[in-house]
Amino acid sequence: MKILVVDDEDIVLESCQAVLELAGFEVLLVPSADKALEAMKGNEFSLLLVDVKMPKRDGMYLMRKVKEQWPDIPILVMSGYYTTETIKEAIKMGAATFIAKPFEPDELVETIHQIIKREEHHGKKEGPRN
Amino acid sequence: MLYSTRSKLIASFLGVSLLVGAVSLFIGGQLLYKAVFSEATNRIRLDLNAAREIYLTRINSVKVSLNITTLGDEFRLELKRYDAPKLVNRLRRMAQHAELDFAGIVTGEGKTLCRIGTNPVPIEESQPVNPIANLALKRGVPVSGTVVLSREFLSAENPDLANRARIQLVPTRRAAPREAKEEASGMALAAAIPVLDGDDLLGVLYGGILLNRSTTMVDRVRDTVFQQEIYKGRSIGTATIFFNDLRISTNVLTPDGNRAIGTRVSREVKEQVLTEGKMWTDRAFVVSDWYITAYEPLVDIFGERVGMLYVGVLEAKYADMRGKALTVLVLIIMAGMALAIGLGYLLADKIMSPVRRLIKASQRVSEGNLSPQIGPISKDEIGVLQNTFKDMIVSLEERDKRRREESENRLLQSEKQASIGRLAAGVAHEINNPLTGILTFTRLLLRRRDIEDKSRSYLQKIAESTVRVRKIVKGLLDFSRQTELDREPTELNRLVGSTISLMENQALVRGVGIAFEPGENLPVVTLDRGQFQGVLINIIINALDATETGGNITVSTGISLSASDTGRKGVEISIADTGCGIPPEDLDKLFDPFFTTKEVGEGTGLGLAVSYGIVQRHGGTIRVQSEVGRGSAFTIWLPVEELSERRKNTGC
Repeated sequence: MKILVVDDEDIVLESCQAVLELAGFEVLLVPSADKALEAMKGNEFSLLLVDVKMPKRDGMYLMRKVKEQWPDIPILVMSGYYTTETIKEAIKMGAATFIAKPFEPDELVETIHQIIKREEHHGKKEGPRN
Repeated sequence: MLYSTRSKLIASFLGVSLLVGAVSLFIGGQLLYKAVFSEATNRIRLDLNAAREIYLTRINSVKVSLNITTLGDEFRLELKRYDAPKLVNRLRRMAQHAELDFAGIVTGEGKTLCRIGTNPVPIEESQPVNPIANLALKRGVPVSGTVVLSREFLSAENPDLANRARIQLVPTRRAAPREAKEEASGMALAAAIPVLDGDDLLGVLYGGILLNRSTTMVDRVRDTVFQQEIYKGRSIGTATIFFNDLRISTNVLTPDGNRAIGTRVSREVKEQVLTEGKMWTDRAFVVSDWYITAYEPLVDIFGERVGMLYVGVLEAKYADMRGKALTVLVLIIMAGMALAIGLGYLLADKIMSPVRRLIKASQRVSEGNLSPQIGPISKDEIGVLQNTFKDMIVSLEERDKRRREESENRLLQSEKQASIGRLAAGVAHEINNPLTGILTFTRLLLRRRDIEDKSRSYLQKIAESTVRVRKIVKGLLDFSRQTELDREPTELNRLVGSTISLMENQALVRGVGIAFEPGENLPVVTLDRGQFQGVLINIIINALDATETGGNITVSTGISLSASDTGRKGVEISIADTGCGIPPEDLDKLFDPFFTTKEVGEGTGLGLAVSYGIVQRHGGTIRVQSEVGRGSAFTIWLPVEELSERRKNTGC
């Protein structure tokens, strides 16, 4: 299971890497939306963990791009600054769910498991397109 | 409006002066008429006296001239000798000097001896009656006065006299009917003197003036009595001698300018003067004009009333005098009216100018200028109005100031909130990322088994502190979030009731009683149920925190008018506790963000600020009353929108 984590802050990336690797996931870290799209082309990911607020192109942009090309990859959105509107918008754009920073490590892992389980339950008939 | 007040004032002034003017004009006119008329009547009586004097003087002059002639010795001698030619010459000279129209001598037998006429020495046997000579013969004394002479006598004396005496009657309005078409007899002033030689009667000398068509007498009366006074081209005074009711000698003129000989007097005058022998003084219509007149009867030598003497003045002169006086009166009245208009104008101006200033001032006030000039304060009722107006402006100003302060406070409050919101947003973003690192790695470290207890407890403290920071930042975010209200029509009692039942467990645990007193017939309110419930929970938790075990919290609802929003209709929710109360110095900081009286770690100090913001966004207010040691009461007021009223009415 490979997870792509997108955030402009190293500490967040490192935290996620620590927690997710400990939980047995393979993790790829990228600091921007553009880098994320690049990485998507050469890899197959089970899930994207995306920060909303990033300089230049933000998480919303990335989500739009990803949903255009890889509509089946679930996206988990995270943010330190959020409003009801941003959460609603993210869900509308296809985000699986939302997690507020700072989160407990268990909370993150549990959320990701639930999403993946849900995806599997819905049936993974077609593999992720590449 | 102003002009109409002024017009009313002027109109009433005018009305009064018009009324007074009309009354004085009427009464003055009457009085003037009476005064002028009685003055004129008195004068005409005097004038008639003068005229009579002239008339009598003339008779006397005839008598005197005859008398003087009879006294001459030569005259007697010639008379004794019946020297007719010489006597005639003498008589002619006398007649010329004394301006006599006829003169002659009658013998003791009554026969005419001689006379001055065309037939000086008559030879006929039958002679017409000579009334005056006969009377003198009969009485044996001199006789003088007015006498009526027959046409025969006149033509015997001189045919010219008879012609002069003949007068055609002119038909006259208002005169008594008379059948004859002309008057042939004459009326004369005459005298007859018996001439005596010792006791022997030598004869009677007679002579006189025919009044018919004579102008001298009446013109002398006019010239002496009225002094040739002319009024509008006409002689003001007139005199007439009537033979019976006929004008035989006059200077009253007909409209065509001739003397009005041949016209007659009116029936009333004739009856009063000729028939009854009384004097007449009154206004009378003479020929063609109104005159103020006086008539008196003329009595002949036999004591018969044979004619009238008349004087009159044109009434027009007196009427014009009266007219002039009335004109002056009218002018005075008009001046009075002009004065009334002027005075009314000025007075209206004086009365209205403060009112006008007040009107201008209230216009200023309505335009927003609350310190308008209203001019000096009058000492009358308008002054009271001005003072009341001033008071009104002062209270308006105070209200305005209060409102401004309130809205400034509100603005300050919302600015404060906005800036805190921006700060919170920034802080949240910047802090949450490092917090993620702290929390993650602390938790990961805590999972390790090889950590000694002391280090583990330190890590535990880091984790707890981080969670606390997370809570504070979350509170900040909640506070800064200006989320849209998701309003829906709500039954307030139900919402409050369910909130209280949520809190009942906590209250039970703390040993505090919580009671709900729902108000009746509350209108439906539109509000964001979730957010509003948060507000209620927040305030109830605060109340629980402030109340010792055994205390009570009472939540009540009701209909109320807003205190600050000029009586707008709304509902109130009151949460009252019997807790420790809030010190006065803390009351005004109560809703400030981060203000808290709780122990560090127990409260963020954002609860009430957030609650305040929510209530404010509902258009409501939160009021606090508190007394230290006795408790506090938080009252939330919410306006009732028309929409909710309508929905309630339609049963939604």
